[in-house]
Amino acid sequence: MANTHTGTGAQSETLSTNPVVVVRGIGQLGRSFLREVGAMFWFIAHTLDETIDRVRQGRVPFRAASFFQHTERAGVESVPLVGLVSFFLGLTMALLTGYQLERFGTERLVPGLVAIGFTRELGPLLTGIMLAARIGAAFTAELGTMKVSEEVEAIEAMGIGPLRFLVAPRMLALFFLMPCLSTISNIAAIFASSLVCRAYFNMAFVYSIDLVRDALLIRDIITGILKSLMFGLIIGGIACYRGLTVNGGAAGVGAATTSSVVTAITVVIGVDTLYNTIYTIFFPT
Amino acid sequence: MTAPSSHVAELRDVKMQFDEKKVLDGVSLQVNPLDRLVIMGQSGSGKSTILRLILGILQPNAGSIFFKQFEITRLRRRKLQQVRRHIGMVYQYSALLSSRNVRDNVALPLEELTDNSRDEIDEIVDAKLDLVGMKDSKKLMPSELSGGMKKRVSLARSLVMEPELILFDEPVAGLDPVIASVIDELIISLTEKSQVTSVIVTHEMESAFRIGTRMAMIYQGKIIEDGPPEQFKQSNNPVVAQFLSGSTEGPILEGSQDAIATK
Repeated sequence: MANTHTGTGAQSETLSTNPVVVVRGIGQLGRSFLREVGAMFWFIAHTLDETIDRVRQGRVPFRAASFFQHTERAGVESVPLVGLVSFFLGLTMALLTGYQLERFGTERLVPGLVAIGFTRELGPLLTGIMLAARIGAAFTAELGTMKVSEEVEAIEAMGIGPLRFLVAPRMLALFFLMPCLSTISNIAAIFASSLVCRAYFNMAFVYSIDLVRDALLIRDIITGILKSLMFGLIIGGIACYRGLTVNGGAAGVGAATTSSVVTAITVVIGVDTLYNTIYTIFFPT
Repeated sequence: MTAPSSHVAELRDVKMQFDEKKVLDGVSLQVNPLDRLVIMGQSGSGKSTILRLILGILQPNAGSIFFKQFEITRLRRRKLQQVRRHIGMVYQYSALLSSRNVRDNVALPLEELTDNSRDEIDEIVDAKLDLVGMKDSKKLMPSELSGGMKKRVSLARSLVMEPELILFDEPVAGLDPVIASVIDELIISLTEKSQVTSVIVTHEMESAFRIGTRMAMIYQGKIIEDGPPEQFKQSNNPVVAQFLSGSTEGPILEGSQDAIATK
């Protein structure tokens, strides 16, 4: 480094103002980001390859019991959390928008607004964030601990593909469960908005549901499902990748778990934004 | 390039380094059929690395590694997985899957790699657990087992695929002398009964001389002595002599961090 100052203050000032250092720092960040993205891509590709390879040999890639165990943990046990959070958010959204729209006499738009908002956007996004925190963290910690205690290496040493044995059932469980949980999130929010409409805006429950049916388009539902599937794959992939690349014992497992949750939530929101941008370009109305 | 068929495993001029640290510096070693080869050396000398290289879990920086006629370093993933089925591994901390009970741990390779029915798998698992005296503990979880019991289950797991070579990484580390002797006897009797070759990594001298039919000592990345246990006892090599005696005076500690600590 060109910097020859000995004082800490002078050094940090030089570091922050020297454009070469700043550019180098940005370059290093970019490089490590691209390396991570590449590694994660190959991780998912190798998992698919190992799984498909196993199917080609005419064998099941993993036991059904293992898959259902993960679907139960990721799906069934997440229902109360997803349902409750979505219900409260649906209530809040209906209340806040309802009072604003009431001033213009358009409060009957509330059920449709909540339904579209959740089906296309908030349902998959909220579910993704909750699953990243609840299940992604659990997967990372579990696989990280297995890695640290040499269990993953033992599986590999037996001639068993650890990616198809450990990663594939977890990723697939999240992939298939995400749309189901998203749907539960949507239903909870729509139900909550119907309750608000009944209580505050004198709309019959059946009328609210009719308004929801009128407002929702098939493409809203498809968009929500596609997003959910993508988010499931992303959360599962990141959680398992972080778990299997743990280094440094218990502290490493902790760091990987935090990193897994932060990365998954950031990537999910980023992908959601990208999806919405592309969607708006191709379907502007 | 093929290995002579007389060797179960062979390392040829293997070099391995982690970051800046050179661990193996041109190691050549042959494992002959029915050998109980004990590899000795200081902590961090690369003993366990040799086992992981034979399994293909680590890739060397240079050199070749063979298991029978297969060059491990050149095998593709699928072939490597097939070759690994013929090698058993017992880890230092047993590496039992904590979410599975004893029966399921031992049955895992059979369930995943064979077409055996559940009854056939149960029969094999019972037989192997019986060999290690753990038949009555099938339902226990790894967290309910003592260190010695875990080692025995791990040994049973390594035997279920009828391997031709078993690798032991510090099989008696952390066990009391009595249980360590039990594990040693078990290793001897099982390898003799099953006619299986084994490589044992340890720095427990008593255990090494009890188990080994052949010994090799690794020092500063090289094999400095290789021969029967009697040869080791009479060795003129000062490193071997110091290692066997456990003395603090000698070439091993010269210039090392441990030497500085003792001063």
